[in-house]
Amino acid sequence: MKQKMTPAQKSEARWGLLFVAPTMIGLIILNFYPIFKTIYQSFCKTGDFGKGNIFVGLKNYSVVLNASETWQSLWNTVKYALIEVPFGIVIALILAVLLNKKIAGRSVYRTIFFLPMVCAPAAVAMVWKWLYNTQFGLLNNIFHTKIAWISDPKIAWIFVGVIGAWSIIGYNMVLFISGLQEIPGDYYEAAEIDGASGLRQFFSITLPLLSPTTFFIVQTRIIGALTVFDLMFMVMDKTNLALKKVQSVVYLFYQYAFTNGNKGYGATLVVILLVFILILTAILQRLEKKIVYQN
Amino acid sequence: MNAKKVLTATLTASMAMGMVIAAPAVANASEFTTSELQVNIWDNNQLAGLQQIADEWSETSGVKVTINVVDWDNYWTLLEAGASGGQMPDVFWTHSNTAQMYMENDLLLNLDDYIANDDAIDLSNYYEGIVELYNSDGVQYALPKDHDTIALLYNKAIFDKYGVDYPTDDWTWEDVRDAAAKITEAGKDDGVYGYAINTSNNQDGWYNIVYDYGAQVITDDHKGTTIGSDEGKAGMEMMRQILEVAAPQATVAETGTDSLFNSGVVGMITQGSWMINNFYTAENHEDYAWALMPYADVNGNGQCDKGERYSAYNGLGWAAAANTADPAAAYSLISYFCAEKGQLEQAELGVTMAGMIGVSDAFANAFDGMDVSPFTRAEEECELYFRPYTRNTPVWEDALQQAGGFLDAWQDPSDPALMATACDNAQAIIENAIAAE
Repeated sequence: MKQKMTPAQKSEARWGLLFVAPTMIGLIILNFYPIFKTIYQSFCKTGDFGKGNIFVGLKNYSVVLNASETWQSLWNTVKYALIEVPFGIVIALILAVLLNKKIAGRSVYRTIFFLPMVCAPAAVAMVWKWLYNTQFGLLNNIFHTKIAWISDPKIAWIFVGVIGAWSIIGYNMVLFISGLQEIPGDYYEAAEIDGASGLRQFFSITLPLLSPTTFFIVQTRIIGALTVFDLMFMVMDKTNLALKKVQSVVYLFYQYAFTNGNKGYGATLVVILLVFILILTAILQRLEKKIVYQN
Repeated sequence: MNAKKVLTATLTASMAMGMVIAAPAVANASEFTTSELQVNIWDNNQLAGLQQIADEWSETSGVKVTINVVDWDNYWTLLEAGASGGQMPDVFWTHSNTAQMYMENDLLLNLDDYIANDDAIDLSNYYEGIVELYNSDGVQYALPKDHDTIALLYNKAIFDKYGVDYPTDDWTWEDVRDAAAKITEAGKDDGVYGYAINTSNNQDGWYNIVYDYGAQVITDDHKGTTIGSDEGKAGMEMMRQILEVAAPQATVAETGTDSLFNSGVVGMITQGSWMINNFYTAENHEDYAWALMPYADVNGNGQCDKGERYSAYNGLGWAAAANTADPAAAYSLISYFCAEKGQLEQAELGVTMAGMIGVSDAFANAFDGMDVSPFTRAEEECELYFRPYTRNTPVWEDALQQAGGFLDAWQDPSDPALMATACDNAQAIIENAIAAE
């Protein structure tokens, strides 16, 4: 049976609501309203400049779902995530373990590895664009190769993914370090007395006890990687042959919604991406109980 | 003080009665309500010159002009987002690609009354195609800022090094191809190419060849295309033969033809007059020279006849936002840019050629030590056609540049069938885009 609130509780609830109001109002105006507006637009043939929308039902969806470029770009996005997420995590984990030890210049290294995170993504992309340049790029000049890193449709997705992994390592590393510091030192002492090697300690203590952090990073990075846009946009010219094999769903959305001025079609693309991410997140949540080590 | 009060009262009264009051075009400082105008343009090369002209206007008007440069691709995204959200710059450039859409949606300030009361502006003094472009249902929404033409740019040092004769005004596209072949062959070890063109070099590149051979990218009524015709295919076949001896597509997509040219690894490119400053201020500009656009000797009589040498022309327009805080100030600035004094100054400073007819000669002399007369001579010696546009140009224009358009043929120019297919694809892309407008 529901208890009636005392005046004190009521007043507390009112104050509570007042305190969360700024955040809630911000969320509603800046996040929720656009989400529903976008979903509504995806059912419309939109007019110029957001005026004169005509409701067309599922027509946009049937066109988008039947377009091969939609599936190609979804596959491109997944491929990008397959590079960025595992490499971004494994390398960050190794660095975090190394930098969690008491070594000279530890904070200098931490700062250096975190730096890419502080740089504007557009600036990062421009620098990599020149590193990758086939004719004048530093990479080809050092290795005396003629590889079209970002123009060969077969390999371009890998090297765009590399930029993504490189940019995110520092951020993942910081999260891992904070996770590592929460593992009590006693476990390692006990393991050492039992004669466990460093490697054994890593796999039997560090990895399981770090799994909540790892899971959090995996989940947020998958979502982050699936909504990638700026990398492709900055690194690849629109006349780049590899573009169709690299462009992400959000890139396609940008092309339709902003360059071609077809907001309805663009909205449909992002709604489909949203559904895809929701399904993936639901699956991950199910897996959480099995993967994450419960103390 | 009293006079001001009377004026205010009169204004308020007449507005209340719903009367339309046309603001005088040349006004003095006290009549402007705003203290600053935001101006958006996309070409950094023109910033210094335009700011200088704008500052002169500021001296008489007392209104500060801030010019913001946003690069071409993002310019339109930003303007469109601003238009949807009611946050447009006060004064900005318009372009054939999207002008129609903005005019139809009443986003641009109606200039008719201002022009009628402005002695400095007579629309018959400007290039007709540009005036028409910015006119929708009899209403003028922008004044012609400039016009541009296309010419061939070559690097004398490269021609000298490989012993190839310089391009002349009598060159056909075959001559371009043969010279490019010689340079590319001889320059193999140095990584030097005779020619460079990307699929995105349309107005300043392959569109012109299509017209030389007798086809039209967009027909005169803006409702169709003949790019898939035999003439269109003949033009693009010529393009293909040049591509065979030009820099590979991957190279031009990664570095850009203008950067390649300035790096001294490309012998020839075609470029628009709006790019002159970029090359004039380049490190090796003393090696650079311009020639008239090559022609296509379609009838094979060994000389250039009417209809065999084309140059695209386009003109930007100065427009104001319909919801600008101070329309009188916005128009006054536009009028200053577009009246004879501003146009002449624009040409003299080498910003661009004028939108006004007959004041561009000064432009040819603006670049000391570099002969840019091919751009002004193009007006007599080339047939000028307006940059192909429809209601929503970017839809098909972008598609033509990418895979499924001409990109595949650019990627593998050795296969003539690929280029012919690309022409058919292009025909379909344009027709579908127009049908969807």
